[in-house]
Amino acid sequence: MSNESVYKEVLLDHFHNPRNKGELDAMDTVRRGSNPRCGDEIEVGIACDNGVLETVRFRGRGCSICLASASMMTEYTSGLKLRQARQLIANLQQWFSSSDDAVALNENLAALSTIRQHPARIKCALLAWQALAETLDESEDRNKTGNP
Amino acid sequence: MVDFAALRADFPIFATGQQPLHYLDSAASAQKPACVIESISQCYNHDYGPVHRGLYPLAESASEHYEASRRTIAHFINAARPEQIVFTRSATESINLVAQGWAAQYLQPGDEIWVSQMEHHSNFLPWQRVCRKRDARLRIIPLDGEGLIDLEKSKGLFGKKSRLIAVTQVSNVLGTINPIREIIAGAKQRNIPVLVDAAQSVGHMPVDVQDLDCDFLVASAHKMCGPTGIGFLYGKSDRLAETEPLLLGGGMVDEVDIASSSWAEIPARFEAGSPNLAGAVGFATAANYLHGIGLPVIEQRVKDLALLTYEHLSSVGGIQLYGPGPGLDRSGILSFNVDGIHPHDIAHIAAEHGVAIRAGHHCCQPLMQHLGVSSTARASFNLYNNERDIAALLAAILDAKRILGHR
Repeated sequence: MSNESVYKEVLLDHFHNPRNKGELDAMDTVRRGSNPRCGDEIEVGIACDNGVLETVRFRGRGCSICLASASMMTEYTSGLKLRQARQLIANLQQWFSSSDDAVALNENLAALSTIRQHPARIKCALLAWQALAETLDESEDRNKTGNP
Repeated sequence: MVDFAALRADFPIFATGQQPLHYLDSAASAQKPACVIESISQCYNHDYGPVHRGLYPLAESASEHYEASRRTIAHFINAARPEQIVFTRSATESINLVAQGWAAQYLQPGDEIWVSQMEHHSNFLPWQRVCRKRDARLRIIPLDGEGLIDLEKSKGLFGKKSRLIAVTQVSNVLGTINPIREIIAGAKQRNIPVLVDAAQSVGHMPVDVQDLDCDFLVASAHKMCGPTGIGFLYGKSDRLAETEPLLLGGGMVDEVDIASSSWAEIPARFEAGSPNLAGAVGFATAANYLHGIGLPVIEQRVKDLALLTYEHLSSVGGIQLYGPGPGLDRSGILSFNVDGIHPHDIAHIAAEHGVAIRAGHHCCQPLMQHLGVSSTARASFNLYNNERDIAALLAAILDAKRILGHR
């Protein structure tokens, strides 16, 4: 296998030992993301306090890229302010949609870098992140309307 | 004794393309022999002109090359007359032509169109839509545990309401070879037309439309070592006469008047727009190439390779194989899943080994529902494959198990 393999150790570690995976009952907001073309289905749940993502968790099924990316996401977004979490999501999305080095990928997400060469799998890597973005939207909408 | 190594050398991609290349995705699209590529190049370099539109020598020879290609394809599937071959863009377009140009005219509320559970979306969606539009019912021929069509559980298939049976000859997922002959024999007794989706059979095994006695049969060039962008619809002459053209425009009319117009003869009336000359020439060259090797030879070779792969995969453990089991006839298409590993990961790791396989639902979501999975990995064979390709596939699967299997 070449050095360009997407199956690097960090990614494999997240796949084999997913962080923050399982029950979402205690979460404030849960959103589902699915990719019917490959049968990937991920649910992402968040618990916020005072504009900070206290906990980010996920559950679901999918390919190794999808699950490892979800696990990495929970690890690196837990504890961030909502605004910072949005920036991280935007950074990853921009990095995948660009082909040059105009956007620098956040170093915590470096293990996802080789996936950019495989357009068919970018969707897998982004699935959980898109669900997270939706939980943030929903959480903020709710705060604006004043409902708990 | 056929020299398959020499035949592999007919395909330039194995020498000039990305190396190593273990191409096991021929059911998606087959590779092209040099003769096909050269015939297209020859067409554009020396023989190119408009088809059926000019009176000068180049236009006349272009028309002749186009019609000669039609005769070659007619001969290839033993159609009685070349006019029974309508060139289309694809097998998909051919099916849509029958659904919208033929079925939509005759279907009444309560009528039934039958398809099998294993159909490709292209032999499913056109019927689903025409049935919805006409208040007709789309009925499903179920499958048994081996992935074989279960005719005994298809009550009404040959019943009074059945207006058309559209079924694939070879499953693009399971490799099942369907009992087309039996279905057509039953349908004939009730005068029910049958459409055969032959996308995975024409060019892979002998197909004789007169012997089958089907009403319609569709296939595409690119799955049988021909170019992309061209396929055909075969129809019995009376069925084609009952079919309305879908595309109106140049080349498909006799007389055009402000008030009304009359269609050109068949097949021209179904081929509006400038024809795909180079595609037709390449298609005919592919047919001649395969005919030269011998369809029974190709069929046996591909079956042997698939069977060998089946046996190897069965012995690995932790691999779920779909479709007909040992002792049952199957084509050169093999779908499988590896326990605990997503098919996309299998295909990706295979790619890192230079092995090209497909992973996904293969445009067969109703079949995936039957199998209870969202996707499978699929290896499919053609005449240029060999035992080294199988060994590379096995090595890739073992590697995937090592990387992603339970630790």
